Amino acid sequence: MSESLGLLGLEQAERDSCVACGLCLPHCPTYRVTGADTHSPRGRIALMQVVDEGIAPLTEEIVEAFDSCIQCRACETACPGDVPFGHLMESTKEVVESTRGRAPWWLKLGLRALTRPTLLRIGSSCLAVAQRLRLVPSRRLGLPDRLPLRRRALRATGDDVWLFTGCVMDAWQRDIHLATQEVVEATGTTVRPTGDAAPCCGALHTHAGLGDGARKLAARVMSALDGDNAVLVNSAGCGAALKDYGRLLGSDEARAFSARVFDIHEWLADHIDEMDANPLEPAIAVRVAIQDPCHLRHVQGSHMAVREVLEPFVSEIVELDDEGMCCGAGGAFSLVNPQLALDVRDRKTEAISRSRADVVVSANPGCSMHLAAAGVTVRHPMELIAEALRAR
Amino acid sequence: MIAPPVIEDAELLAFAAEVGPSGPVAVRGGGTQWHVGGAPDHGVREVRAPSGIVEYRPDEMTVCVRAGTTVAELHAVLAEHGQRTALPDGSGPFGSRSSTVGGAIAVGRSPVTRLGNGHIRDAVLQLRYAAADGRLVTAGGPTVKNVTGFDMCRVLVGSLGTLGCIGDAILRTRPKPEHEQWVQLEDAEPQTVLRTARTATAILWDGSVVWARLCGHHVDVEDDLARLPASSAAQPPDLPPYRWSRRPKDLYCLPEETGRFIAEVGVGVVHCERPDPDPPPVAPGVAALNRRVRELFDPDRRFNPGRSVERL
Amino acid sequence: MKLRRRTRADGAGQRHDPCVAELIRALGADRVRADNAARHLASADASMFIDGAAGPVCFPDSTEHVQAIMGVAARHDRAVLPRGAGTGLSGGAAPLGDPIVVSTTRMNRVLEVDVEDRVAWVQPGVVNLDLTKQVASSGLHFAPDPSSQQVCTIGGNVANNSGGPHCLAYGVTSAHVLAVEVVLSSGEAVVLGGLEAEPSGYDLRGAFVGSEGMFGVTTKIAVRLTPDPESVKTLLLAFDAVSDAAATVGAVIASGSVPAAIEMMDKRCVAAVEDFAHAGYPRDAAAVLLIEVDGPRRGVEAETDKVAEIGRAHGGTVRVAADEQERALLWKGRKSAFGAVARVAPDYYLHDTVVPRSKLVEVLEAVYEIVDRYDLTAVNVFHAGDGNLHPLMAYDSREPGVNERVAAAGREILEVSLAVGGVLSGEHGIGVEKRDFMEYQFTSADLEQQALLRRSFDPHCRLNPGKVLPSAHSCADIASLSAFKADGVWG
Repeated sequence: MSESLGLLGLEQAERDSCVACGLCLPHCPTYRVTGADTHSPRGRIALMQVVDEGIAPLTEEIVEAFDSCIQCRACETACPGDVPFGHLMESTKEVVESTRGRAPWWLKLGLRALTRPTLLRIGSSCLAVAQRLRLVPSRRLGLPDRLPLRRRALRATGDDVWLFTGCVMDAWQRDIHLATQEVVEATGTTVRPTGDAAPCCGALHTHAGLGDGARKLAARVMSALDGDNAVLVNSAGCGAALKDYGRLLGSDEARAFSARVFDIHEWLADHIDEMDANPLEPAIAVRVAIQDPCHLRHVQGSHMAVREVLEPFVSEIVELDDEGMCCGAGGAFSLVNPQLALDVRDRKTEAISRSRADVVVSANPGCSMHLAAAGVTVRHPMELIAEALRAR
Repeated sequence: MIAPPVIEDAELLAFAAEVGPSGPVAVRGGGTQWHVGGAPDHGVREVRAPSGIVEYRPDEMTVCVRAGTTVAELHAVLAEHGQRTALPDGSGPFGSRSSTVGGAIAVGRSPVTRLGNGHIRDAVLQLRYAAADGRLVTAGGPTVKNVTGFDMCRVLVGSLGTLGCIGDAILRTRPKPEHEQWVQLEDAEPQTVLRTARTATAILWDGSVVWARLCGHHVDVEDDLARLPASSAAQPPDLPPYRWSRRPKDLYCLPEETGRFIAEVGVGVVHCERPDPDPPPVAPGVAALNRRVRELFDPDRRFNPGRSVERL
Repeated sequence: MKLRRRTRADGAGQRHDPCVAELIRALGADRVRADNAARHLASADASMFIDGAAGPVCFPDSTEHVQAIMGVAARHDRAVLPRGAGTGLSGGAAPLGDPIVVSTTRMNRVLEVDVEDRVAWVQPGVVNLDLTKQVASSGLHFAPDPSSQQVCTIGGNVANNSGGPHCLAYGVTSAHVLAVEVVLSSGEAVVLGGLEAEPSGYDLRGAFVGSEGMFGVTTKIAVRLTPDPESVKTLLLAFDAVSDAAATVGAVIASGSVPAAIEMMDKRCVAAVEDFAHAGYPRDAAAVLLIEVDGPRRGVEAETDKVAEIGRAHGGTVRVAADEQERALLWKGRKSAFGAVARVAPDYYLHDTVVPRSKLVEVLEAVYEIVDRYDLTAVNVFHAGDGNLHPLMAYDSREPGVNERVAAAGREILEVSLAVGGVLSGEHGIGVEKRDFMEYQFTSADLEQQALLRRSFDPHCRLNPGKVLPSAHSCADIASLSAFKADGVWG
């Protein structure tokens, strides 16, 4: 499979597997808002080809075409030819980053902080205080309205499964972890939260083209979570990253690790029968719209499980009419490309308002914060299920 | 290696030779619609297109027919295979038994069944015509689907013979439905009939009575009759002589002084007793484009002098 | 015509284009891209044909913007090339003569929907399927459904008079366009056709539809919306022999049925499609037919039974899609077929000819023979109901000499199609791909008349020059086209 590599280090067979049919175009959030071929998957691949082959220099416009990609990978779902766009883009970004140093200093600094849980929590608490003193324009920065000042502690109840807690989510959305643990335990399964031992999955590093950092984090996570127990993940982005360790590190060990990673909904769908709750009991009366995180729908393909596990607990599920179009968050994308991220988000919030839902659920912290900053009420599916269980 | 095409059809070549490269000329068909766009100037040399069916392929649903054939004759042959075309053959309220295929195409007016059967221009696959320099030209092609080159056929449909003299045509045929009948509906809203009737190929309205032509499977027509307001079998009404062109929704706000009319619901053609006092205006840019087309195709204005598409 | 071939060259800097400053003044900097990346991507459509390089790429969002572009082009005597989603398959949007590219992707608004008269005014950049989605709640849809309908723009459909599976019963784009507002090369905006029943004058609307961007730039389109059928049934028929499938098509048509669509796929195509869509297409069949019947409910039931019976009588096995989900999945497979061929080889050349239905078997056998003889891979997926073949040759362009073999095989397929009374193109258009074959189908008198029609609209031959008409019948612009070589924007 592996052939001689070009200037972007792309495998020729993968790079040239695109037949340029264009079926990806309408699924690309950035092409949808700008209408420019340079902002489309087909266009980006064509540019990768000419750069990789040395036909074109890596101009500012070409780098911009790559940087403007949210890496939602909706194009992969749409592609009838199975072009591995995400992989091509990650490799491309890694080369561009190493030769051009595109990631801004503050992003790199931020990404480094993600790997230091104590620092992250202290920083987060400072931010929370500053918010309450109205020193921080939260919405403009895409922050949640009220970051938590204090976090309830997560406690292990046994060793049946790991619950991957991650970085930002643990600092800002620990209540979701607590709800997740509650739901998992309702199936009679004991939970060990991963906590500071496995501080960050490295997804954002990969997206920014910081491959070395990502590989280091992967190794750290794997060594912390040894054994054979399932690793449950309630953040779509982290789940996708952990499941990709096999490819990222290319080792048998990493492949074995990735094989025991499950998105929480995926896992719960298989264990919901074990839940000690009467499915006929009334569901909570809310009309729920599901916002599929791209890394759940297009990368992990486990978005249907969200519907399956939510269905017994809520009165109505509505589908958004934008067919899983990205919300524009894209991990750190909304920080680096704010305008594009807002334009993409506008499409999503319009779809949400058309759905006339009471609440939107999203299984990814980045998406929920990005949407919350637009004034949308967003919950994690696990929070709704936990609430429904408590009401019974 | 394929050689460029050569037309070896003696009859057509003779027709083209008769049209010739110079001098005013008019093609006479059935002469049933010479009021449309003005009759050709008096004394212009008249030629007649050949007649007869060249090739009928029921399995392909196409027929190649000379322009001088009457539509009625053509349809009689097609009926043997349970088919027909969208052209008016005089069996319905519009058209004449003596209208020819070439004439119907040159005038380009669809019968009242346009609602269900489409505009006649969509039934024309290929036309062979004599151009102003007397050469025989093929527009379109023989197959039921074709985008090879510019769509010359559609320009010729409704051109009143001012761009070329049509010698023959390949037309799309359609299977005749299992069942067809005209019904008359008292006290029915035409809009409701349009929305409700799934088998209607024509809906006519005179301001109070609605007539509908229902075509299709027996069972589907039955279902339509059950859905529609009470109706009785009927003959369609006669059409007044003049033709107005409106947007379909404007049929419901025709001026008081219109007089007796029969409107084609869902299409917008209104058949009236008098000429349209207020025809939709033609924008200057479009008029100029029309003139340019005629100038380029017939620089000497030898085809149908006195007739013009701008004077409809 | 040149096949897409990847050439190696040292990176070249940005060139100076005197138009750009004026375009920016007229449209604003965010609506003009003159950099090589944007120009490179505007230099190809979804076909394998490249023959030149695009000039600056403009993103107008109004008729006035397009008029302004036309003004700049006139002052600089530059060609103008309209471009939609770039999904064309004949190189119609491949730039010749250094054109200013007018991308319509930002003119993507549905301006007005008139449910009563079943008409919508749309801008040319509206995506075909988006319009249907938008009017779905009114029980209406836009009938032309090319396989690329989720991507292609309605402006592109107008330029190519696009077809699609369902045009068997509903007709191609021309039958669904009531009026078009176009900007002519003079800069004047005119509305051709109209919403009234019989607009006066020549059918210039009909002339414009299918003119491949050579008559004007479309800025608004009034399309006819078609009421959704009461009932739809989709049948999947599998056969052990391609000839049985083809005979079934003939028998269905001969029975007096006009199904909404009759599509055929051969074994290799089914395999590629099934790998992607998992729609349950039978991999062991030599050929499958996808037949859709629609209309009033009870008639559809009767027609479905009739078609199924004809299929079985020809040795086919029949499956009727049980629900909307199964139906959608089958169509998803069919409509992804071309892209799915990427699983067979990295490049493909997709042909498009129409032959009489009765010649389908004969021509298909010839196609397999020709493609085998040139040592290429043939995949067949096409609109069998109207004899519209789409033989597809899959290959790897990196293989030395393969491009010449593909071109030669393509030419032989054309010859076979024409020899049995077929035509060059059923729905993809002529573009640059088949320009030089036009003389096989038309006499020089025929082509001169077509050139006259073009000159009526565009006396300067400014719009999309060098397409459709072979050079002997085109305007004098062709001489200037050869000044631009196919080395691409970095060449």
